[in-house]
Amino acid sequence: MIAKIAWLNIWRSRTRSLVVISSIIIGIWSLVFLLAFMNGQVNNYISSIIENETSHIQIHTPQFKEDFEVDQLIPNADQLVAELGKSADIHAATGRILLNGMLSSSAAARGVMVKGIDLRLEQPVSHLQEKIISGQPIGSGRKNEIMLSQRMAEKLKVKLRSKVVLTFQNISSDITTAAFRVVGIYKTTSKRNDELYAFADIADLQRLAEMPQGSAHQIALLVNDFDATDTLAAEISNQHQLLKVETYKEISPDLELFNSQIKLNMIIMTTIFMLALIFGIINTMLMAVLERMKELGMLMAVGMNKLRVFFMVVLETLLIALIGAPIGMLLGYLTTQYLNETGIDLSTWSEALEEFGMANIIRPFVTADTFFIISIAVVITAVLASIYPAFKAIRLKPVQALRKI
Amino acid sequence: MERKKVIIVKDVYKTYHETKVPVKALRGVSIDIHQGEFTAIVGPSGSGKTTLLNLIGGLDRPTKGSIVVGDTDIATLSDNQLIDFRKEHIGFVFQSYNLIPVLTAKENVEFVMLLQKQPKAKRDARTAELMAAVGLADRMDNRPSELSGGQQQRVAVARALAPKPTFILADEPTANLDSKSTADLLDMMAKLNADEHITFVFSTHDQRVIDRARRIITIEDGKVLKDEWVQ
Repeated sequence: MIAKIAWLNIWRSRTRSLVVISSIIIGIWSLVFLLAFMNGQVNNYISSIIENETSHIQIHTPQFKEDFEVDQLIPNADQLVAELGKSADIHAATGRILLNGMLSSSAAARGVMVKGIDLRLEQPVSHLQEKIISGQPIGSGRKNEIMLSQRMAEKLKVKLRSKVVLTFQNISSDITTAAFRVVGIYKTTSKRNDELYAFADIADLQRLAEMPQGSAHQIALLVNDFDATDTLAAEISNQHQLLKVETYKEISPDLELFNSQIKLNMIIMTTIFMLALIFGIINTMLMAVLERMKELGMLMAVGMNKLRVFFMVVLETLLIALIGAPIGMLLGYLTTQYLNETGIDLSTWSEALEEFGMANIIRPFVTADTFFIISIAVVITAVLASIYPAFKAIRLKPVQALRKI
Repeated sequence: MERKKVIIVKDVYKTYHETKVPVKALRGVSIDIHQGEFTAIVGPSGSGKTTLLNLIGGLDRPTKGSIVVGDTDIATLSDNQLIDFRKEHIGFVFQSYNLIPVLTAKENVEFVMLLQKQPKAKRDARTAELMAAVGLADRMDNRPSELSGGQQQRVAVARALAPKPTFILADEPTANLDSKSTADLLDMMAKLNADEHITFVFSTHDQRVIDRARRIITIEDGKVLKDEWVQ
């Protein structure tokens, strides 16, 4: 009966209840969308870094990362790549040669890190072909082809078919020079990467640097289950103890920092939303209690104890929140699903996004965890919001309450 | 044979300190109410009759003196004990009915029995019996807003009777009613009093109620001025 009274009481002042329910709906809707947008941002950032730079797991010799010495090669890397590529846990594997050098055109020169890749193996890891904006990928069969980023090409003032000269150290520490023809211009989401990297065929770099065939400085892996990255890295590390196996979190600790910063922001944002809701709900419930003082006095006069009165006010508040919150969450979910499919185009801010290595299109998404956390937060908010009006109700003296009109 | 005393008010004082100057509402009131009385407490505004009714009903506490209902000195009970005591022993009828507006007449009558955790079958039977007794058997599913003032006050009487209280306290029960509703209500209460020996104590200004009372206690300036039995 108390639950029934609480439910019916909500609709006694229909407009007031609908106003507070609407504010809860709009608040939760906005919160879900904002959290989904932040999830999309994090995903965008991490995906871009993983795709363009770190992959999920990288393997090097232990010394390579210390000074990027050209002779720190993984012997028979091609066999290891083939072996790892067969694992059911690994989506894609590729070997890379990394050469630091100077790339010169007739107009300018730039420091560069040339990545020697096997495009067939590289494609599923970094989707390089999809980033080509003009020309074609390397690997046509001709020797000494190179792909430059649009940014690098502009700095060097070169176009497709232009020749550039790469100066680097070979494995014997001798300075070597080789001419390459620009066959493709690409553009990634990372300004920093575009200013640093160029891509050539791995076989060309092995030959020019006098490296053994099948060797590589780096093996990059994409895993099937993102959450199992750490476990898989540990397994590979156990099997190949002479090599250094690192996850994207170890290679790029700022990702973890960014991730935890965003999570903290989400908590702060949820708290702010809930605080805003609390005051709206308190106001409504306080009005509901104050205008029913006489009735509450009567209930206590005829024998309804304080605990029941308290529970009735808490229940009324909870019911209001529990009407609004699911509708808000549903609207938030539908909005997020729609925007996940269409994407939110932030190309107006592409310059700034490229600085952070982020794509222009954000695809917001929410997880079941988000809804669970919001549900818990709403219940806590409603209970907290009901405490003051409920105390106000039970502090009434029936004899004083009954005197009020 | 002497009838059982259901209320014993002994040398009760009540002083309010809510204003700068303390207000002495009752100054040594002593009365006994017996089982089956139909008593009106009368007096001008501010005489202390509502204060006395609130004290007897356990809605307020005396500054001094004792009020024994049945065998319990209610002045010694804690707030929660008082709520439970009221639930079991005292029926209230208020001037402005004070029904729960969101519940039907039947649910209003049933409400206190629910608080008493009475089984549904018992509640249903008692509600039907009381609604019939107050002449509203056909208005069980109407909300208070769908009933006239007189009908609402009848439902309030049925609600007060539902838990089978020791007595009914009615504070100006006819103040908002027209003549016909007042007469009907008083007829009904007089019948319940005569047939079932239910004790009614009214606080009233209304001459129509005073005319029907069999005992009239007049209070003035917080003291019992007259206590007369009417034949």
